[in-house]
Amino acid sequence: MPATEYQGSFLGRISIRRNQVSSLENNQEQELEDLELFQRHISDRFADLIVPAPDDPPASPHHHHHQPNPDNVLSISWLRKLLDAFLCCEAEFKAVLIMGRDPAHVAKPPLDRLIPELMDRVVRALDLCNAITHGVDSVMQCQRLAEIAASALERRPFGEGQVKRAKRALTTLLSLMDDKENTNSSFKAAERNWSFGRRGSGAAGANKDPHMANFRCLTMSVSKNWSASKQIQAMMGNLAAPRGNEASGLAVPVYIMSSVIVFAMWALVAAIPCHERSGLSTHFPVPRQLSWAQSMIGLQERIAEDWKKKEKKGSAGLMEEMQKMEKLGTALVDFADGFQFPAEAEKEEVAAGQVCELVEVCRRLDEGLLPLQQQIREVFHRMVRSRTEILELLDQASKAAANPVA
Amino acid sequence: MEEVGMESAEKIILRWDSTASEEARDRMIFEGDRSEVDLYLRAVDQIQHATIDSSSCAGDKVNAAIQIAMARLEDEFRNILITHSSPLETESLLELTTLSTDNSAEFEECSVEADEEEPDRVLELPEGESSRRARSSVSYKTTKSIREVDLIPAEAIDDLRSIAERMIAADYLRECVQVYGSVRKSAVDASFWNLGIEKLSIGDIQRLDWDSVEVKIRRWIRAARVCIRVLFASEKKLCEQIFYGLGTAIDDTCFMETVKGPAIQLFNFAEAISISKREPEKLFKILDLHDALLDLLPDIDVVFVCKSAESIRVQAAEILSRLAEAARGILSEFENKVLREPSRGTVPGGTIHPLTRYVMNYISLISDYKQTLNELIVSKPSTGSRYSGDPTTPDMDFAELEEKSPLALHLIWTIVILLFNLDIKSKNYVDGSIVHIFMMNNIYYVVQKVKGSPELHEMIGDDYLRKLSGKVRQEAITYQRATWVRVLYCLRDEGLHVSGSFSSGVSKSALRERFKTFNAMFEDVHKTQATWLIPDIQLREELRISISEKLLPAYRSFLGRYRNHIESGRHPENYIKYLADDLENAVLDFFEGHPVSQTSRRR
Repeated sequence: MPATEYQGSFLGRISIRRNQVSSLENNQEQELEDLELFQRHISDRFADLIVPAPDDPPASPHHHHHQPNPDNVLSISWLRKLLDAFLCCEAEFKAVLIMGRDPAHVAKPPLDRLIPELMDRVVRALDLCNAITHGVDSVMQCQRLAEIAASALERRPFGEGQVKRAKRALTTLLSLMDDKENTNSSFKAAERNWSFGRRGSGAAGANKDPHMANFRCLTMSVSKNWSASKQIQAMMGNLAAPRGNEASGLAVPVYIMSSVIVFAMWALVAAIPCHERSGLSTHFPVPRQLSWAQSMIGLQERIAEDWKKKEKKGSAGLMEEMQKMEKLGTALVDFADGFQFPAEAEKEEVAAGQVCELVEVCRRLDEGLLPLQQQIREVFHRMVRSRTEILELLDQASKAAANPVA
Repeated sequence: MEEVGMESAEKIILRWDSTASEEARDRMIFEGDRSEVDLYLRAVDQIQHATIDSSSCAGDKVNAAIQIAMARLEDEFRNILITHSSPLETESLLELTTLSTDNSAEFEECSVEADEEEPDRVLELPEGESSRRARSSVSYKTTKSIREVDLIPAEAIDDLRSIAERMIAADYLRECVQVYGSVRKSAVDASFWNLGIEKLSIGDIQRLDWDSVEVKIRRWIRAARVCIRVLFASEKKLCEQIFYGLGTAIDDTCFMETVKGPAIQLFNFAEAISISKREPEKLFKILDLHDALLDLLPDIDVVFVCKSAESIRVQAAEILSRLAEAARGILSEFENKVLREPSRGTVPGGTIHPLTRYVMNYISLISDYKQTLNELIVSKPSTGSRYSGDPTTPDMDFAELEEKSPLALHLIWTIVILLFNLDIKSKNYVDGSIVHIFMMNNIYYVVQKVKGSPELHEMIGDDYLRKLSGKVRQEAITYQRATWVRVLYCLRDEGLHVSGSFSSGVSKSALRERFKTFNAMFEDVHKTQATWLIPDIQLREELRISISEKLLPAYRSFLGRYRNHIESGRHPENYIKYLADDLENAVLDFFEGHPVSQTSRRR
């Protein structure tokens, strides 16, 4: 992967050069070079993530509209690429900030303010990682429901039993997607699909309700007050591009890394259903003029567009596969509603095609969700490690400042 | 049992189609007559085993009937599960856990011996509760090892199993797993609630004050034991009871479906603690957490043994190693703080510095945790090099301490850097003598503290203790030199005798000077050093005796030799103010820590 190549030579160059005895002037020059390189790499990585939109005019007349590009923005594989890019950025950032660093540097303004702010963002990002992992679990659940429907409609001609079976699963699926506020209230959603009314007939009915009422509110993984969108908003606060003479020092990579973290988390929250995403900010506080940010801002704008268009309250997340699943699910439920054995050949043909697509979506989820969770966990680990190291650096710095040699 | 014919089978199935009739919705088959249940199940079996041509109209009807039956069975399955799914009676379990061995000192008195043969006590839930409550049979040793509880009564399990069999045979496994997971997940969540497992984010925990966090850690440890050993273990057993033998690892799938989320949520708390900022005060609770998790690890491996649970086992191990890292980091941080503690204020009276108390208390506690820390601390402290010439770090040669464990080395090192720091602080005293009283006091305090704790004593070792005691003596000697040499200098013979051609005798003027100087010096020292404090009574008396031993004989002999010369002159009382006894009494005022009254003892 090109990114790792960059990483290898970049780190190699830094470590060799840092260890050379050089004059102060050389040091500063070389540090500027490193910062330049860092910015360029960030820019390149995000440029790699740009994918032509599906509704863009095809590059060639032979472009297959029906063959979805598996790497579309916010598809599972794109998200995984995003996380890979994030890990590379993170590694480079650590090299720039920590390696061979005299602790006194990080204690000076403006870093003495900027770095603790970054640490605060990292902690929020850790919580978001956990919430997103949990969100992936609920995507898995949707996948399983979709698989029921898909496998029910494997055999043709479609029979009444199959279709009703698929419809039952899809209805549960759609209500799950519809109600992502309570991410894990599968219970509540399943309940909707019951054939039984809640008219509490007899003792049996009445006694059931209190149990369920208890169960309903307890299936969330985070406290009611925690909100993904609020976390993102807090991370965006204070995110201000360094200006003036700050714009050439270490404040720049700190700002860049902060922006990258915010972008990555924001994209993940937009894509994957996790607790309390309503009100997710679509405005990104990174100015257009910054050269390294062009691609990132481009992606952000596209995703924000998508968000505004598709995200009704409590939707299933912008992940491409989930969006497809919702569309296909709705279409198939419609088909099921109007179904009578034997089905009209044309309608059945269309439905069969949709089932095929659904199978493909499920396959991609099946392949990609577990690795995605593992990657998120890796991101979590890395951020914890970096945070520990940076905190140590800060500690050394404050001690050196407070305790000049006796 | 009669065979049910195809047509009647279909009729039965259709009669119970809840999408079709109000009547079908009103009742649950499995809550009613057993004969109805049997009938229905036989009907299901009948249509399932029929061979059908799916493309025919009749065939389609049979397929449709199968779907209706499966949908119905799914609902029945759900209903049975819900009816019998109440959260585990966790209060009783939690209460009992306070009696089990717990590292924190406060529970030591109540600990139950691990080997104690106590008969299992059956805890009856109060009568009058709805009969749906699971009767849990629990023993006092519950949370020390895995103890499964029957979450669902046997008859219900039979029913669930007979439904599961048929669903799986009809290729409706996914639906079965789905419905099982969703109901049990809620039940587990409710149990979590009862166990007091809070849903705190990492951010929340970073912001809390540590005292509150300690309380939560304690609670978590108790809850986690119940969670893993009772709750999760029982869920696993339930899956086995219902799904065993019905297919490949279906019970594992259902189990993971149920507990994966809650398990991760449980561990999130421990993980959040492991990444909190490293501060010395946090060490011991983090060690408690580490030990509790270590203790749980074998049971975690047993409960989560299936392949799909690997990520949970891995996460638990990761968190454990993070906690270990945190402990190591905190110890490092502690040593750093001791070395760099920057306060310059002097302790009045040269007594024990708060840093000394803090450090000795801390390492005493460390010695209490030595079993765990010996496992965790594997590297020697990074000391300054003997040749580094870095004045900000003491150096230390560990060559003589080869057999000591790394932990013991760290403790010794901590004392070394404590004394190093104290030495720096002592330079802030204006008076040159109090420096040594200060150092003497503090080093002696260290010695006493080490001697007072058998674990600490054993780790520090007699060799180093002897070294420290030697330092105490050294400081005492240096003090005496600093204060008393010049005082005693007044009582020397040289310079008093004048040898001239006509008179060889004592210079009266010089003698008078001597007495005056001596008196002034002694009074000054007396006034000052009475306000100094040597807290340890024995040390105090020893030093006074040592002073007297040098002072009194010198004064007596001086007085004896030269008093005549003074008394033969004018105003002898201006010069000979004190008898030896007066001095002896005055010495008793030294190091008491309060000023003497203005009416000092005089002749």
